[in-house]
Formats: sequence, structure tokens, C-alpha cells
Amino acid sequence: MDLTKEQQDILEGSRGEFLAQCMRWLVEWGEVMRARRLVAVDNTHVLLPVPNLMARGASRTTMERYVAELREACRHPTHPRCYCTVHTAFVTLDDLDVPENDPEQVQAQRELVGLAVASGFIPTFTCAPYLVGNVPLRGEVCAWTESSAVVYANSILGARTTRHGTESAIAASLLGWVPEFGVLLDENRKGSLRIEVTAALDSPTDWGALGYFAGRIAGLGIPVFNGVRRPSQDEAKQLCAALATSGGVTMCHIAGVTPEAPSPGAAFREEVPTDFTVFSDTSLRETYQLLRNPTGDEIDSVILGCPHASIREIAQIAALLKGRKVAEGVSLWINAARATKASADFMGYTAIIEAAGGRILCDTCPTNMRVPARRIVTDGFKQAHYARGMLGAEVIVAQTEPCIRAALHGRWIGNE
Amino acid sequence: MSKPVRINGRGVVKGRAEGIALVADATLSFWGEVDPVTGRVISVGHPLQGESFAGRVLVIRSTRGSSATPMILKLAKLEGKAPAALVNLEVDALAALGCIVNRIPMVADLDQDPFTLIATGDYVVVDADRGVILVTKASVLCDSPAGHSPGR
Repeated sequence: MDLTKEQQDILEGSRGEFLAQCMRWLVEWGEVMRARRLVAVDNTHVLLPVPNLMARGASRTTMERYVAELREACRHPTHPRCYCTVHTAFVTLDDLDVPENDPEQVQAQRELVGLAVASGFIPTFTCAPYLVGNVPLRGEVCAWTESSAVVYANSILGARTTRHGTESAIAASLLGWVPEFGVLLDENRKGSLRIEVTAALDSPTDWGALGYFAGRIAGLGIPVFNGVRRPSQDEAKQLCAALATSGGVTMCHIAGVTPEAPSPGAAFREEVPTDFTVFSDTSLRETYQLLRNPTGDEIDSVILGCPHASIREIAQIAALLKGRKVAEGVSLWINAARATKASADFMGYTAIIEAAGGRILCDTCPTNMRVPARRIVTDGFKQAHYARGMLGAEVIVAQTEPCIRAALHGRWIGNE
Repeated sequence: MSKPVRINGRGVVKGRAEGIALVADATLSFWGEVDPVTGRVISVGHPLQGESFAGRVLVIRSTRGSSATPMILKLAKLEGKAPAALVNLEVDALAALGCIVNRIPMVADLDQDPFTLIATGDYVVVDADRGVILVTKASVLCDSPAGHSPGR
């Protein structure tokens, strides 16, 4: 890779050992991914979580060494050009009376927040930074962690980010560069498979089903959706999250919606493949069935807000819960960014949800925290997919309304 | 003892490692589908569910999904449960980053089908400096008194 004098100097230690290490990560990663240079980055979304139960059973040394590196990262100022926000944690910083919110880990996370803020990071603690102010413009070069947000940034906003991990996003935040490869380059943003959508998509979860279906066949490719209307923000969020769950997708095109794809032709750079896969009403039904494996009707958890809920989704949930009560023994979790919850508090939605027995969980989600659950109803395909392995739970994925009905009845009573 | 089978590929992340192969013609997400502390695959219905990749040469199509891949590999490495090496068909940028940060050799872009030539239990030497993989079949290992034990 061609490095400038300044980049070469940093690599050789001109700004200290940690930044040299950061530069080594970027350069080595760039070489592996066949980048030819580093380019300026304007926007990052980084992972700064203490491991908590993510590393259940890990030694104290492992936990300490892991956090020590995050602390070191937060001792350096972020690059002045960069808008740097922070991904979810594995604990909530709010008071939460569950044993999984380990006080020692919460304290370690609080200390990290203090350092992060001082160095210039904005502790949004969300998987959906585009809901709380980090909305990159078309063409803006970003370094984002959270694969669902990466797909959203590339496909819906027309920004440019490869999928980043902890070290690369930290290095980008502090140094202000990223290796130029993958979807940062025009030629790698071309569609690789064509999906004709004939199914009627009525809800964000239906769009999640489309994403889950497409991710399974796309692998690391770039699916192009044709025949669909413009999704709402909440629908686009579900589509992008599911694509990055069942597949290794970095971006998709929605013909007529993705900024650089006004038509299928534009998405494929005029080489529209003749073969295509159809997503029909039957595919829609079958995709839901992939993540419905209950051996009984009684449920103990309803998890909404994966990815983190928008204020509009919280308003809808509050309307469905108003004056009602969640069934005894059922936990209703609505995950959201702290900034979104502040709006919900202000608008009275939090009070309605709490009076009904639900709660808005900030900074994290129950799956991240490893809150035990045996049978979960959720409106997020991503949540359903991962909860099976991470929590060992049975899952039922469904649209938001039947999820709420299940919460009120304490059992899954179907869609109608 | 017959000669090991040789597969050539691209040494993506440099280094040399060897161990018993764990093979699946499938993708795997290190987020949510593995436990970094035990080194086991926990994804329900995954062909490797319940298997441990700790110290083994993990042969899969590619990793998938999550930006937490390097983080999970780091936790596994700190716990001594990381794979010895990765052999993949395709290079997922996040697996590459995780391997760089945690010094795990990785080879991809192979000249032959690894799922035909490598089976779980075979002994595999991964030389990512030269982009070479040498496979000694488990059957050969069992027949040969001087062979490596394919036990866990």
C-alpha cells in the first residue's frame, strides 16, 4: 500500500506505540483486502463494550486485558474531522434489577464512558446510530461497526463503509483514515444477484423476512431488490438487519430507493442478470416458519427493538399497551437508544409502557446481556436468529401487533 | 505413510500453524453462533453445533455477519480457545481483521475444494507465509504408529 510520509511516520512510532499499533492494523488489513491507499474517514461507529456475560466464565485476567485495551484507546483524542458514535454495550448503565447487569461490569463500563467522552466519542450506545443523529450523507466515508447499520448506511443513505471491527473502527476514529477497499470503491458497489419481489410486504417484520431470505442466498454478495415500494425507515432497518444476519452482506440495492440505484439497470451498472430469484407470498410465509420453533404456546419474553426501536415504533407500542397489562411472568423488553428513551420519557410513552408492565432497555438488549429466556416472541429476524443460540431459547418471529398480544396473554395466540 | 495432500491458496494473514481439522461446508458467524470461552459452536442447527474449534484448523466457506468477529476472536484467544488457523473459500473482511489482530494464520482462494480433500479429524499444516496447506488423512494417522493422535 502507498503511504504518505505522515502515515509512514505514525507507523514508525512518531505518535507513540498505541497509534503505531492502530496504523499497523489499518495497513495490514488494507494489504490483505488489496487496498492501495488509506483514505480520509469522516464518521465512525465504534465498539467499546466491557465483555460482561459475553465472556461468561472467562478468567479475570481475560476480562482485565480486554478492557485495558479499550481504556488505552480512549486515552487518545478522536480525529477532529470525525463524527464518532458508540455501539451498544453488554450492560445497561440504568438501574436494572437483574443479576445479569453485573455491578462490577457496569462500573467498568461507566469508567470507560468517562474516558470515551473526554476523547471525543459520543456514547450513543446503539446499534442504530442513524436513529439518533449519526446520519452520514451520500458518499460520506464511514468506518462503522454493527453490520446491520453498515448495510443501512450503504444501501439507504448512500454513504460508504465496509464492515468494521473493534480495532479498525478505533484506529479510524483516532487516526482519521481507513484502507480503501470493498464498497468504498465504485466498482465494488455493483449488484451481484437479482431478487424480484412479488410478495406483499405489510410491516417492518415482513421486510425483515425479505432480508433474511435474501441474506441466505447472497452470502457476501450484493442483492438487488426489484418490484418493491419505498420502505419506511423502520422497514428499511429490519431489511438491513436481517440481510447482515443470514448473510455477510455489506450493502444491497433497492431499485428506485438506494441513492445510486434509480433503476435495476443502475444497480447492476447496465449488466442486469437474466436469472433471478423470486420472493413470493409463499417465500414470505416460509421464511417466517424458519424462525418459529416453539414446542408450546406459553411464552416468557417479548423482545422488541432489534435493531433499537425508533421513537415512532415506541409510540405504536405505547398505543397498543395503553390501559392494558402484560401477563404475569412475561418480560416485555423494548430496546432503544438512550436519546430515543429521553424522547419517550418526554412524550409520556415510557410511563404508559411501564404502567403496562413493560420496560424500555437502554444501551444494550436482553440477548447482549444474556438475560435468561425460554420462549421468546420478537418482531426482529436478527433477534430471533441469534436468541436461539445465545440464550438457548425457542423463538417465534412475528409482526409487532401479535407480539404485543402475546405479551398481554402470556402465550402465543397466532397472528390474528 | 502416504504423502500429505497439498492445497495451494493465498496466504491472507501470515503465519504458520497446525492442528486437527474441523470442517463444514458452511458459513459461521462468530457473533452469537460461538462461545468464545469454551470455543464451541452454539448455533442451533449449524453443522458444527457442539463442536470446539479451540486449537483446531477451522475449514469453512467464510465467516458471516457480525462486526463483533474480531472481538469474539480476541476473547477466545485470551482464553486459549481460538482456532489455530482459518482456511476459507472467501475472505470475509472481518475474519481477516480478527486474524490480523489476534495473530491467527488464514489461507483462502484455494486451488482445490477443501471440503473434498479435508475432513474433520485430519491433521492439517497451514503455512500462510507460503500459501500452502498440507493435509494428512485421519485414516493414515490411525494406521501409522508414528502418526499424530487425532484425539481431541
